[in-house]
Amino acid sequence: MLLLELNNVTKLFGKLAALADISVGVEEGEVLGIVGPNGSGKTTMINVISGYYRPTRGTIFFNGKKISGLRPDQIAAMGIARTFQSNVLFEGATVLESVMVGSYLQYKTNCWQAFFDTRAFKDEFEEVVGKVLELLKEFELFNDTFLPAAGLSHGYQRMLGIAMALLANPRVLLLDEPTTGMNHEEAMFVVDNIKKISEQGVTVILIEHNMKVLLNIATRVVVLNFGNKIAEGKPEEVMNKQEVIEAYLGTETI
Amino acid sequence: MRYIDYKKVIPRTVAAVPITLLVILPAFTTNVITLSIIISSGIWAIAAMGFTLILRTGQFSLGQAAFMAIGGYVSAIFTVKLGFPFWPSFFLAGVVSGIIALIIGSIVLRVGGIYFSIITLALGEVVRIIAQQWEPVTKGSRGLITSPPDPIILGSFEINFATSAVPYYYFLILLVALSGLVFWQIGRSRLGGIFFSMAANQILAEHQGIYLMKYRVIAFTVAGVFTGFAGAYYVHFLSTITPIMLGLWESIQIMIMGIVGGVSSLVGGPIIGSLVLYTLGIYLSRLPVFGIQQLLFGAAVVLVLLFLPKGTGLVDLWDKFWRKVFREPEFYEEDTLE
Repeated sequence: MLLLELNNVTKLFGKLAALADISVGVEEGEVLGIVGPNGSGKTTMINVISGYYRPTRGTIFFNGKKISGLRPDQIAAMGIARTFQSNVLFEGATVLESVMVGSYLQYKTNCWQAFFDTRAFKDEFEEVVGKVLELLKEFELFNDTFLPAAGLSHGYQRMLGIAMALLANPRVLLLDEPTTGMNHEEAMFVVDNIKKISEQGVTVILIEHNMKVLLNIATRVVVLNFGNKIAEGKPEEVMNKQEVIEAYLGTETI
Repeated sequence: MRYIDYKKVIPRTVAAVPITLLVILPAFTTNVITLSIIISSGIWAIAAMGFTLILRTGQFSLGQAAFMAIGGYVSAIFTVKLGFPFWPSFFLAGVVSGIIALIIGSIVLRVGGIYFSIITLALGEVVRIIAQQWEPVTKGSRGLITSPPDPIILGSFEINFATSAVPYYYFLILLVALSGLVFWQIGRSRLGGIFFSMAANQILAEHQGIYLMKYRVIAFTVAGVFTGFAGAYYVHFLSTITPIMLGLWESIQIMIMGIVGGVSSLVGGPIIGSLVLYTLGIYLSRLPVFGIQQLLFGAAVVLVLLFLPKGTGLVDLWDKFWRKVFREPEFYEEDTLE
């Protein structure tokens, strides 16, 4: 069974179709790359899956349940976490505070138990803090734990975004250009981490312009152009297709 | 030997002195005017705590006095019209105010931001107009005259509210302490973190699995309950309620007290803000200048926004002072240059 399934999803902004009849299926454990020129609807696709936009037509199924039309928080609680294209941070929060917010989905105790500081809540709190610190170590953010998140460098802010998304215990992780504005080494660090995440059984969907990164980690690639799916398949095959080259470089006119 | 962190112990000891003095104040003076200034500012402090809690979730309520009015009218109607004793009607005032906050909140909080402010502003006016027009119950603009709380008799010991202001004073301290405890615990627990994240970045918080509506309604309802208690107590302390007593200016006053005290603190800020502003306002209103209180409040807001930006207020001067004393480095401040 497919873990995530988009059936004929259309998203219209006025008369402009940002997504036109897109159907994509994602299997559990794969790393799906989404590529396409600027304005081809890659980010809209992630926004539609994560509930930021509602699809105009079509349905999205996650694990056999319909999720199109649900609120972002419900979708996140079901296990679909995402990062954003630009660095989106909690204003004025430290690194630890930011990741703690990400971890709220892990709690099984309710607000009353948290309010009265019950034993069950305290035990769970310690467990969650342990997980948070472990994750910070993994993402090399441990030394900056108590620094304001806004003071981190661009690359580390993106890392923080991925860490926050991971703390929501996702089954599907949507990454919107995780390596923008990074040099090669930083990008490779992110790639290694995405590989690790994928090995832990999390399905990853990522938007990426960097072909080296895609060839390195993606098991399958979907190419979008003007809201239409123009190609799908293994990264090496897709990159050599005529339509894809045309979409990126334009057609030859005499 | 146990290690004593003097950097924590000394400020706490110094802070304990004025608090103790406030608690044992009736031993020095039973002057009604002195005590009533502190009682009134305590009542405003509870309302300002509610405003600050709502502001924590990123919403700006401009109608908090409406909940004071609702609490006040409920308590007054139950005691005067229906002949209930004071204590159950005081309790009912908080409950009814909370239920109304819950109902209105779950409708109004779908729209956040500026629209919420506009609607709460309208709510204040609606409550005032209902109080004015519903003559058979509220007696219109003549208002209701309430009696002081019933005396509490514990064996041979009797607490009589009718003869002096001291019982009012101690009951107020109890009320402020109780609501302060609840608000402080909310700020400290997971709810506080969730509220903070909602205000800091709504979209990111939503994608981290936080249902904005739920937590906004929680904050609005908790604020409504305690503001209702404060309103009921205010009405029985002044022994009257009229429609104009808790109107738009009072809502703005609550907001200003919260902001001047410092919205960075859920409990300390509102208490400091209301104590300072209410006391100053009372003494300044003896001057023969019209509207001097409003002028003072406006000036205080401007000064605080200029010199204590980013949600800090008078209460943060305390931490700043002790950091200077212990020569601790200032906290990292992010670059404000765009």
